[in-house]
Amino acid sequence: MGLGAILVVGEEHQAFCSTPRAGNYLLGEPIECVEILGRSMLERTIERFARTEIEAITVLASNGYSVPVLSGMYRNVNVWVVGDVASAISQLLQEYSQKGIEHSFVVAANVYAEIDLLDLFYFHREARKTATRGLDREGPLDLWVVDCAKAQQVDLESFFNRADEATASYLIRDYVSRLRHPRDLRRLVSDALCGRCAMRPSGREIKPGIWAEENAEIHRGARIVAPAYIGSGSRVREDTLITRCTSIEKNCYVDCGTVIENSSILANTHIGIWLDVCHAVASGEKFVSLGHDVVVEISDPSIMRSNSDAKKGVEFSRPYAARQIVATIQQEQPPSPEMVLGANLIQG
Amino acid sequence: MYTRGPVIVMELPEQLNHAEGKAFLAELRPLLEIDRPRVVLDCSQVQHMDSAGIEILLHCMEEAMKRDGDLKLAALSPASAAIMELMRVDRLFEVFESADEAARSFHAVASIEEPQSPPWYSVPYGLPDLKSAS
Repeated sequence: MGLGAILVVGEEHQAFCSTPRAGNYLLGEPIECVEILGRSMLERTIERFARTEIEAITVLASNGYSVPVLSGMYRNVNVWVVGDVASAISQLLQEYSQKGIEHSFVVAANVYAEIDLLDLFYFHREARKTATRGLDREGPLDLWVVDCAKAQQVDLESFFNRADEATASYLIRDYVSRLRHPRDLRRLVSDALCGRCAMRPSGREIKPGIWAEENAEIHRGARIVAPAYIGSGSRVREDTLITRCTSIEKNCYVDCGTVIENSSILANTHIGIWLDVCHAVASGEKFVSLGHDVVVEISDPSIMRSNSDAKKGVEFSRPYAARQIVATIQQEQPPSPEMVLGANLIQG
Repeated sequence: MYTRGPVIVMELPEQLNHAEGKAFLAELRPLLEIDRPRVVLDCSQVQHMDSAGIEILLHCMEEAMKRDGDLKLAALSPASAAIMELMRVDRLFEVFESADEAARSFHAVASIEEPQSPPWYSVPYGLPDLKSAS
C-alpha cells in the first residue's frame, strides 16, 4: 500500500498550521508533548499510526521545542529537528516517494481526531487529488493525506494554507480535539475520564472511575472522587480532596489538606499544603487559571514548584545541542533495532 | 494614600512580598489602630503577590476587625485573584472593581446602620404612647 506519516510538533510551523495556537506554549512546551493521562498526545498519535501499519513515521520538531522521550518502542520512527517545517515536509515527501511510499499523512501532533486512518486514506485515493484535508464541524484541521509524487509539483507552503481544486475534504464526525490551549487539555481530560471519547488513561482502574499507576502513592486519609487519574510516582498526602475529573500526572506531590478540583497537575509538579486548585492547569511554577483566564508564575516554592531540575525530554535549542543530547540518550539507552530516535537530524 | 470621608484608601505596592509588604504595613499600622478603621486597599498596581503578601493582607484584616472596622480590596487583577483563590483567602475579603466603589460600600453600610428602628412599645406597633411619669 505504501503509506507514510509526518507528525509536526511545535507552534512555529505557521506555514503548516493554519489554525492559531496562541495558547499552545502557555505551559512551557507544546501541549502535544505534555503528558495527558499518562502519555503525551504525540506518543498516542505515533501509536495510532504504528497500529495502522504505516511504513515510516517521522516527527518534525521545530528548533527550540522539546520532544518527550517515548516510553514505547516503535518501529520506523525518526525525529527530525528543523528550522523550516514546510521545506522539511517537502524533502520528506520526496524521500518517501523515492522509497516507494505513495501517500503520506501530514498531521499537526496537537490534533486529536478519532478517525479511521485507513478510511481517510481510501477516501483520498478515490478522490484522486494531490491532497485530502480532514475537517470537522468547527472547520479545517491540520490533518492531511498527501500524494507524495504529486506534492513535488506544488509549493507546499502555500498549498497547505489554501483550499483549491487539488484538495479534497474529508468530514470527520467523530470526536476531535485541537489542543490549542490548556482549556482544550482540560476538556480532553474530562472527556477521557468520563468516557466521552475513546482515549483512556494509562494505569489501572483501582475503583470505578479512578485510575492510578502502579507506583502512585495515595494516603488512606486522602479522598479521591471519581473520575480521577493519579500518575506514576505521584504522592497524594492525607486530607487532600481530588475531585471532578482531576488528573495528576507522574512524579507529582500533593501536600496535606489541598483540594484539587476540575484541574490537571502536569508531570513533576509539587503542590503545597492547604491550597485550593480549582479549574486550573498547573505545571511546575506555572499556574494557568482557566476561571480567571490568566497564567501566573508562582515564585513561592512553598505554594508550587517543579519537582525536577531537568526536564526529561529532548530539548532542541540548536541542532548541535540536539545532536549532543540525542547522542547522550543513545549512550545511556542503546537504541534497539525497533526504535531509531533522532537518526536523521537535519540542520535548521 | 487618600481619604474619602471616614474611609482610608491606600495603594498596595507593585511587589507584595515580604520586604515590600513590611514597609507597607509599617505605613498602614497607625491607621489601623484608630477606632473602627475603614480601609480600602487599592490593588491596581500589584503585579506580583506571594504568600507573605497574603499574610500581610490577612494581618491588616485582623487588625481592622479587632477594632470593629473592616478592610476591603479594590481593582484586584486576575493574577492576584487567582493567587488568592489558590490560597483560599478569596472568600475572606470583599473585592470591588474600583477603590471608589469600595469606599461607597462603607457609606452604604453606615447609612443603613444610622436609622434606629422604633421601639416595640411605639405607635407603629399599635401601642399607645406611654404616659410620662408625673
